[in-house]
Amino acid sequence: MTPPSETPPETSPKRPTALRLHRALEPIYASDPRFRGWFTTNNNNDIGLLFLIAAAGFFVVGGVLAMLIRAQLASPRSVFMGPDVYNQVFTMHGTVMMFLFAIPFFEAMTVLLLPGMLGSRDMAFPRLSAYGLWCYLIGATTVVASLIPGLAPDSGWFMYPPLTSTEYSPGINTDIWLLGITFIEVSAISAAVEVVVTVLRYRAAGMSLSRMPIFAWYILVVAVMILTAFPPMILGSVLLETERLLDWPFFQADRGGDALLWQHLFWLFGHPEVYIIFLPAAGMISTILPVMARTTLLGHGWVVGAAVSLAVLSFGLWVHHMFTTGIPHMGLAFFSAASTLVAVPTAVQIFAWIGTLWRGRPRLDLPMLWLLGFFATFVIGGLTGVMLAVVPFDWQAHDTHFVVAHLHYVLIGGYVFPMIAAVYYFLPIFTGRTRFFKLGEVAFWLVVPGFHVTFLAVHWAGLLGQRRRTWTYDAGQGWEIINLVASVGSFVMAIGFALVILDVAVNAAVSSRGRRNPWGAGTLEWATSMPSPSYNIASIPVVRGRYPLRDDPDLAHRIARGEGLLAWPARNRRETLVVGTARGEPLQVAVLPGNTALPFVMALATSVVFLAPLIDAYRSAGVALLAVLALALRWAWTLGSKVDEGPLDAGHGLALPSAAEVPDPPGWWGSVFLLLADVTQFGSLLFGYAFLWTVAPNWPPPSYLAPGLWGPALALTGAAALAAGPRLAARAIGRTRAPWPGLVLALGGAAALAGGAATVWAARDPTAHAYDATLWLLAGHILLHAALAAIMLLYLGARVARGYASPARIGEARIVQLWSDFAAATGLVALAAAWLPGAFA
Amino acid sequence: MSDILRLSVPLAAWLAGFSVVYGLQGLSCSRHWPEGLAARPVLLSAWVLAVALQAALLWMLLRNPSPSPFARAVSLALALTALLAALWTLMPVAVTSVCL
Amino acid sequence: MALVLAALRRRPPAGTDDTGAERVWLWGLGLAFPAVTLVALTTYGLVVGERLLPRDAPDLVTVRAEARQWAWTFAYADAPGRTTEGVLHIPAGRPVDVEITSADVLHSFWVPRLAGKLDAIPGHVNVLRLEAFAPGRYDGVSAEFNGTGYRDHAFAVEAHDPAAWAAFLAGETP
Repeated sequence: MTPPSETPPETSPKRPTALRLHRALEPIYASDPRFRGWFTTNNNNDIGLLFLIAAAGFFVVGGVLAMLIRAQLASPRSVFMGPDVYNQVFTMHGTVMMFLFAIPFFEAMTVLLLPGMLGSRDMAFPRLSAYGLWCYLIGATTVVASLIPGLAPDSGWFMYPPLTSTEYSPGINTDIWLLGITFIEVSAISAAVEVVVTVLRYRAAGMSLSRMPIFAWYILVVAVMILTAFPPMILGSVLLETERLLDWPFFQADRGGDALLWQHLFWLFGHPEVYIIFLPAAGMISTILPVMARTTLLGHGWVVGAAVSLAVLSFGLWVHHMFTTGIPHMGLAFFSAASTLVAVPTAVQIFAWIGTLWRGRPRLDLPMLWLLGFFATFVIGGLTGVMLAVVPFDWQAHDTHFVVAHLHYVLIGGYVFPMIAAVYYFLPIFTGRTRFFKLGEVAFWLVVPGFHVTFLAVHWAGLLGQRRRTWTYDAGQGWEIINLVASVGSFVMAIGFALVILDVAVNAAVSSRGRRNPWGAGTLEWATSMPSPSYNIASIPVVRGRYPLRDDPDLAHRIARGEGLLAWPARNRRETLVVGTARGEPLQVAVLPGNTALPFVMALATSVVFLAPLIDAYRSAGVALLAVLALALRWAWTLGSKVDEGPLDAGHGLALPSAAEVPDPPGWWGSVFLLLADVTQFGSLLFGYAFLWTVAPNWPPPSYLAPGLWGPALALTGAAALAAGPRLAARAIGRTRAPWPGLVLALGGAAALAGGAATVWAARDPTAHAYDATLWLLAGHILLHAALAAIMLLYLGARVARGYASPARIGEARIVQLWSDFAAATGLVALAAAWLPGAFA
Repeated sequence: MSDILRLSVPLAAWLAGFSVVYGLQGLSCSRHWPEGLAARPVLLSAWVLAVALQAALLWMLLRNPSPSPFARAVSLALALTALLAALWTLMPVAVTSVCL
Repeated sequence: MALVLAALRRRPPAGTDDTGAERVWLWGLGLAFPAVTLVALTTYGLVVGERLLPRDAPDLVTVRAEARQWAWTFAYADAPGRTTEGVLHIPAGRPVDVEITSADVLHSFWVPRLAGKLDAIPGHVNVLRLEAFAPGRYDGVSAEFNGTGYRDHAFAVEAHDPAAWAAFLAGETP
């Protein structure tokens, strides 16, 4: 498992203290050394490393597919592939690179590095990290494996219906994409929830928002973006999959659906996605560049502001992928203006970086070299992006190789190059070794020139009118030389990337042991021994500035000697500090779970839920869903305790409550942000409904649903009881009285609300019209959340009965209250939306 | 948490306003728009409202600033960004044709 | 890029003041420079975009293009009942509105030398304004991926002088 950490290379006179602390912490945090340890670990160092290797592996897969494409296009009328194979190859190249490489790769870097940067012992929800990893690995392997029997998705990575509807894509290729990618997104959402909670709550003492490392800011912004951008896409996949499986006509014009709905939902995700990929890389640049320039980041506050603005502005851009769909000019103009506006915060970042270089004394180590590669590439990508934001230009260049070249400049230049810089920069933390073999420089000089030759040529081909996604072309159109040049360049680039991977692998395996903090960085992740030990940080420091190691060069030794908080593991369990979001004052002691196979088993069961429908094994999927539910309850049950521990000694004379004995435990914060994703999903569903009502052909439907009397009466009383019951129960627990009246009231409320929703199901046939299908989905949303609330209420009852609740241990009741409120509120909104057209018709 | 809100609300409000005006414009070109109601004055008023909302948020931030100098500076800059974004991105309601 | 290289060569004077640097790099180059450029560019784009819109015109000709996997059918308002496969006939020197729609999946109507692209969407009719300034043959392709036949999904636009256009409308084979 984790490479056995060496003794921290201490030079101070108190060496035995540090060594003794290391020996006390290591057994508590280490994973099982046997083979099964890989499946039971939930330590961020192990999970991150597995994640990183898997993502790099899928980068190789995507790269091989890219080479197949360039081999096919190298000559006109190539007989290497026919259109059926070529369509699978380019679809999978895009899908693999976007979903199986780009997002997981930065998630891996985050899981590996974030706790160290923040001065925390692990991520907020270590088991969730492990669950996300296994979901990703199983889902990604399935999607890629579909290439072998030739069943891979073949409709382009943005899967536009009706081409992807059953009529035009009858095979399971499309289902593999829809179910597989949605399954992988479960892992992205779980990672995002825990990143937000980690950044907001799991920091070193005194690390206020202004002292937070810049990468933590970027990744916080990115995680919130994932929570708000992925749900529209997940909804789109749900709509399309239900259309394919159950014939609910969301995208079929003759029955009131609209193909454009997919494009809106897809690009509501797709454009923020570009920034979800770019911002972590920008965070790496903002972290690495100042160290390479031997200075600090110029305009820290400016860069934070730019990152936040980019994140929000990027949600106002989605229609610029739809400039050719016939949307009125004013609609296009909004998005054209917003598209040019995002260039401003981008420019602020770029000039903050150049200004940092200007004021520092840059050195040309390998990470710096890759950052220069980034500058050279990304600026060109930005300029072609501004060109495409101009509507009339886009009308010509749309769907040509010009767009292909633009997006590769932005994604490879803006993401891959900085991430390679980051891998080299952080290599000492991952492996404990300094780079010895100099293969990396050779690789750099193959990749960057190869890249530019390839994609300058591809730009050119696009301007000459070569369309993307055409499997071959005829001689005599003036495209032969350009495409040959692009293919040769791309093979040089691929050899370079292979050398990068080889270089990293060789240096990780056999190079010499390095010393602590080799680059002279100022942030906390460098305060540990190299490689990072299983517990990340021997004691949690009190920080007073943005660059604690720069302010106090002896800090690393003092941390190792246990002079921070929560040093000696007297309670013999994994503990870390929870702080206030704004000022970073110590608030709670969180107890982290130990090694367990639960996440792995639950990921296996989840994979059956998502993948069994591919072979029409619906019964297995249902059984697996019950298993997931049971495992999730087991997961939650293992937390908490039956007695109040009272204030815990955290060192430095601080006595803090356990996170299980506060009204806002980490699980409550996690629920808040998971519900943010849920409310976005619900909002997207309402948007889809409003969109169809406004724009779709063949509306209005033959009849609108009349509300009647019973439905609204049930729904209103149900929602009121569901909101009031958990409050009564929580108040009763707070006063050590029995919570049963409140719980029973809430359960009755959930049942009544579900009954109100069921009247909608009873009245309509979902295959008749897109309107009916939407009503079924709205009612389904209510039934699902009422069921969730009911399960949680029963669970809370069981916990109370077993003595897990007390006036201090009130957190679980408050979490259940949150979910019940959500079910009640969205239930009322959904039913109002369902009944409104009928009430006025 | 209140600092997090100071940092995030103005731009989120821009996004909401932007989406509402885009939706309104879509509605004005659809079958549901009442005959005889001119779309441009409605859209222009929506633009003015969106800008006024941003100005109000900026004013509230000035009246009730964060205790931390860092959060104060960044939140004001972001509120100003949101105001300018509302002015600029909704500008087409005044200059382009509505439904062509 | 030049600035990056210059920054690498430069040796900074000791003890520089940050506020000055921030003013130049962030206020000047970060905010003002892109803002001015982009306002100009967007305005230009909007003006050109407005000019390309299908407004009313006195000598307007309306035709209809329906796409399907993998063919195009064209119909003519001035010659009811007349349809052509794969070749769209228009008069040269007059504004033409092409009403674009699809019978199955998404397609896109693109004649690079005459106009930008516009999608063909089932259930919707999109109107593209184009004008051929000289008679002749203009190549067109579908520009939205639509399955295995995508590459060869092409058509042509035949722009006629007034006499030939009249002959075409009259039903004579051009």
